[in-house]
Amino acid sequence: MKQTESQYEKQYNIFQNIGYYFQYYRQSIPVFLWMCLAEVVFGAVQPLFGIYLPKITLDLVTKGVTLQRLWLTLAVFGLLCLSVYVASAASQGKYSLYNTRRNELLANIFLKTLRVPYRYVEEGRAKELYWKAMGVINGGDFCALHKVTYAAIDIIRNVISFVLYSTVLSFLSPWVAGLLLIIALIQYAISLSKIKYMEKFRGEEADLDKKKSYLFYNAMGSPTAAKDVRIFGMTGWLNKEKDMLLAKCRELAKRKGRGDYVYWQIDNLLSVGRDIFAYGYLLKKVFDGAVSAGEFVLYFGAITGFAGFVGSIMNSLAELRSGSKDTNFYRAYMELPEEDLRTGKRHISELKQPVSIEFRDVSFSYDIKSEKKVLDHFNLKINAGEKLALVGVNGAGKTTFVKLLCGMYEPDEGSILIGGIDRTEFPKEELYELFSAVFQEPFILPVTVAENLTFESDYDSERAWKALERAGLYEKFHKKGVTMDTFFDKDMDEEGLELSGGEEQRFLLARALYKDAPILVLDEPTAALDPIAESEIYDHYSRYSEGKTAVFISHRLASTRFSDRIVLLGEGGILEEGSHQELMDLKGAYANMFEVQSRYYAKTKLEKEVF
Amino acid sequence: MLEESKLLEKLSFRQNLDNIRRVIKLIVSLDGNYIPLQLVLVLLSVGLRYGGMLLSAYVLNQVAIGFDFSRLFGTIIFLVILLSLGRSAENILSRRINIRCEMIADKYQALQQEKIMNLDFSLIDSPRLKEMQERIRLDNNWGAGIFSMFWQGPFVLRGVAEIIGAIVIGAPMFSYFHGNDYSRTAVVLLLLCLCLGVSYAVNYKITMKSCYFMFHVPTQEEKKFLWNYVWDFANGSWHYRYGNGKDVRIYDGYKVMKHWTFDKLQTKELKDYAIKRPALCDVGERSIRSGMYVLSLIGAYGIVAMAALNGSMPAGSLILYADCLANIFYWTVEVAMWCREVSMTARKQVGILELLELSDEMYKGSLPMEKRSDHEYHIAFRNVSFKYPGSKEYALKNFSLELRVGERLAIVGRNGSGKTTMIKLLCRLYDPEEGEILVNGVDIKKFRHDEYSKLFSVVFQDYVLFALMLAENIAVDKEYDSEKVRRCLLDAGFGERLAEMGEKGIESFLYKDYTDEGIEISGGEAQKLAIARAIYKEAPFVLLDEPTAALDPIAEAEIYHNFDKIAGEKTAIYISHRLSSCRFCDKIAVFDHGELVQTGSHEELLADEDGVYAELWNAQAKYYEAEG
Repeated sequence: MKQTESQYEKQYNIFQNIGYYFQYYRQSIPVFLWMCLAEVVFGAVQPLFGIYLPKITLDLVTKGVTLQRLWLTLAVFGLLCLSVYVASAASQGKYSLYNTRRNELLANIFLKTLRVPYRYVEEGRAKELYWKAMGVINGGDFCALHKVTYAAIDIIRNVISFVLYSTVLSFLSPWVAGLLLIIALIQYAISLSKIKYMEKFRGEEADLDKKKSYLFYNAMGSPTAAKDVRIFGMTGWLNKEKDMLLAKCRELAKRKGRGDYVYWQIDNLLSVGRDIFAYGYLLKKVFDGAVSAGEFVLYFGAITGFAGFVGSIMNSLAELRSGSKDTNFYRAYMELPEEDLRTGKRHISELKQPVSIEFRDVSFSYDIKSEKKVLDHFNLKINAGEKLALVGVNGAGKTTFVKLLCGMYEPDEGSILIGGIDRTEFPKEELYELFSAVFQEPFILPVTVAENLTFESDYDSERAWKALERAGLYEKFHKKGVTMDTFFDKDMDEEGLELSGGEEQRFLLARALYKDAPILVLDEPTAALDPIAESEIYDHYSRYSEGKTAVFISHRLASTRFSDRIVLLGEGGILEEGSHQELMDLKGAYANMFEVQSRYYAKTKLEKEVF
Repeated sequence: MLEESKLLEKLSFRQNLDNIRRVIKLIVSLDGNYIPLQLVLVLLSVGLRYGGMLLSAYVLNQVAIGFDFSRLFGTIIFLVILLSLGRSAENILSRRINIRCEMIADKYQALQQEKIMNLDFSLIDSPRLKEMQERIRLDNNWGAGIFSMFWQGPFVLRGVAEIIGAIVIGAPMFSYFHGNDYSRTAVVLLLLCLCLGVSYAVNYKITMKSCYFMFHVPTQEEKKFLWNYVWDFANGSWHYRYGNGKDVRIYDGYKVMKHWTFDKLQTKELKDYAIKRPALCDVGERSIRSGMYVLSLIGAYGIVAMAALNGSMPAGSLILYADCLANIFYWTVEVAMWCREVSMTARKQVGILELLELSDEMYKGSLPMEKRSDHEYHIAFRNVSFKYPGSKEYALKNFSLELRVGERLAIVGRNGSGKTTMIKLLCRLYDPEEGEILVNGVDIKKFRHDEYSKLFSVVFQDYVLFALMLAENIAVDKEYDSEKVRRCLLDAGFGERLAEMGEKGIESFLYKDYTDEGIEISGGEAQKLAIARAIYKEAPFVLLDEPTAALDPIAEAEIYHNFDKIAGEKTAIYISHRLSSCRFCDKIAVFDHGELVQTGSHEELLADEDGVYAELWNAQAKYYEAEG
């Protein structure tokens, strides 16, 4: 059930990737395809005008035509030329048609994240793939979409031009055309090996780019680090690191340039040979009277122009190859299997509220290879309507328990029953409906209060305000004139809402209360709250959890006092369980923990040795 | 935040010139050799191009008048090789220059971040800097920033060189003009210039329009249909970060997220505004440009051919002159366009230049900090009041407090009561609006800022560790004392993890942001590292702001336990919502709504049953008291 490597590496070839994008364009912007066609056809013919103009002019002058005839011919030629040039240039205006589409691809990527099984979200490989996919799509003119689209069209156009030139030259001599073709093939081989050589530097380059971007924006100029940077006088240190990094960049650029120069010089020598051959051959022909001056110009232009097409094709090919490789990151991510939300044999409507929860012989570890399991043959039954407190040291598996319970992860072994039914038998979509949860990390979007609170388009306004009131936010919102349509974003709404850490936690609580699901899960909901706010939440907890099955996780052992049962997690299982008093009487790990935390609150004066 | 982009305002010629001058000055300061080298390169390239044209013309002229094959061929071989040597030199030079350009661009980026790094902290989150940064971001939303300068600038130079070259080489053309040629040429030239002029004007209009689509900041009204959060979510601003998907699943937030991203991209208004109209501008702009090119080419060939009809112009010269003339037309238009681009690029840098020239606002004195081995420092806040920039409410109001050396002070209070603000003022991240802060009786503004900062070791609530080497993170320098680093790590309770880290030990990198070999550490471990960093600094004042929020009770107790070790003989301030921390401090300061409402020992404060402290304490302590 854990992932195989192949899922993260898609090896679509260049043609498949070109097809992928053009299929997409065909569906979303059909006019784009017509523009491509126009560009290929007109763009390919265009260079021919360049080499024919001197010939035609020369011919006219040599013939000694009249002035009218000269201008007439040039005007006709010019109009033809103009229409081809303009058509080809206009079709290049398609840039904004497709390049803006990368926003859609970006949206696709993060929407995909919300549709894959949650385990992908935290898994190292998938996470890496996500950022790679984002990176290759987010890069403006360096984005994979642009590279592939642009290069593919460019190659086709240049190949056609190349064929046209060859045809022109074959009128001169098929042998010459053949010879030039061979030179072009040699150039092709050289360029290909150059592309491969340059690709070797890509890893190193990407690494340095990553470092630069981290150092510049996450360290030196980062507003969140600004306080530490100043108090600890970090500027000297960071500047030294920066200088080292820039020296490395320079060194790499030089190394890359040296290798590239060798390839360029080989190519240069080839073109020297070609030019000398072209001059020699054509001169001989003129000398023999087989070619006129006009034709000399035409053919000479054609021979030297030949190299240009090969060069362009090779540049585009390099671009295409890298774009195609980049596209594979995107496609690999987009093809990760999605979570099945709909199928299930049982329905939550069958459940009687409140529901019971049972972990039966559950084993789980984040990494299948790891020996150490987070939960190891773990058994726990939470009765319907029970209030359970979950405690334990950092890393004991409290949060993992919550993730397993809510269906973010599947156990490696064993099963999780809800209302006596195996959790996996419900459709995922319905399973999610069972939980009102407050997780540790705040999650508030820049959109409206209503959307953040309810995630519904036709929400119940009265219930929404009620939820805010129960979470202790009503007064503050009311005073500030906040409505359900107020945004959490100052850019969108000048009166945009800003919440402090404590208020954020209350807002998340309000969200859970609005949902009013049968199972309430609170994971450290008071970490950012002051003692009075914390106490308020505790006081209201029994009302929040009325008629529900509830799990409360906290480092603050005070929170255990209003739970029916306390479970102390550790070493992959339950260390101790029972009511507060039972556990205190046990004088085990819980009692010790409680003692450690509560001795500071003792009424008597503290003995110095406590420290 | 911004009403409208400044890039859309009209700018006078002088102002444009001034912007360009400023950018050039900056480039010179980053690399003095770049511009001269670039100039040499341009001259070399243009020279080689005309060399090639001259060679073709020479050959063709010889062809037309009859020639000695072997002699001509010999000359050609010689010249082709000569040109190829020239091209090699050009290639080498241009590679060198490219590397320089990359380095300049890197240095330029670094310079901005360095500047921000060295600014007064109070400026960092001031509305002023935020607006500046927003402007820089908007201005550079399109195009490659200063990098554009490195091809646009040389383009203009090249154009000028091309025109001069064309004039010099093409001038002998007039010797072939006879009689009517002048008047005919003048008529054609006039027509041509008229066409080119009109085209240029239309082109200019279209470019302005397309600038509008690039840089216009949507009004509140337009935002309703143009705004979306694709960029924000993609880059992980706001809370949407890769990994925060639990809530979206549980609360079925997919629809809302899709609505504000993918669906918003599909609206007709947005497609019209962001795709259709810019695309039309693009089509118009490109068509006209290429039309102008064809026009100049045909016009030039026509004009030269007209003169050649008289019969005396050799074939090679005809083509050479025609190409020269076409070059003059073509490059004149191009230079005009690229000048526009250059001034636009320069204009986009203005925001950055302003940032680089931003001067600190805080007064910084020159009084040296008295180094005292006995750490005899006495701190006093005198009637200090402070508001955060852009805020109307006082974060601290008429606040007074005295602190003696070796004292342990606990600060408690509700969220937003000014606890962290007081720390920030003490460290001089901000200056008070009213009142003063004194160290040994001297206003802290009068001390040298760098020396004053050395007094404090702070673990902020939102401390930051960098993804660099662990030891460097502790010592905050590339050079460090390994023994001391280890000792500090042990004192901070990091010893257990350090032992697991194997041979790399303190030379390991943290996290994976900088190198893939970095190690991941938990929140609790990171907090211990932040504390170790504070210990390493050995400052006379140790300030801890909520250092145990992420820790479990055992780890929390460990920190409490080690607190004496951390603080040693020094003065320590401890902020926490966990009031248990008050028990090992000599003095407790209770904050409420930006004011100091109570001070005293735990017992004294608790005695005042109606006091804020008693309220706070009881709220928490009641849960820990013995059952019943």
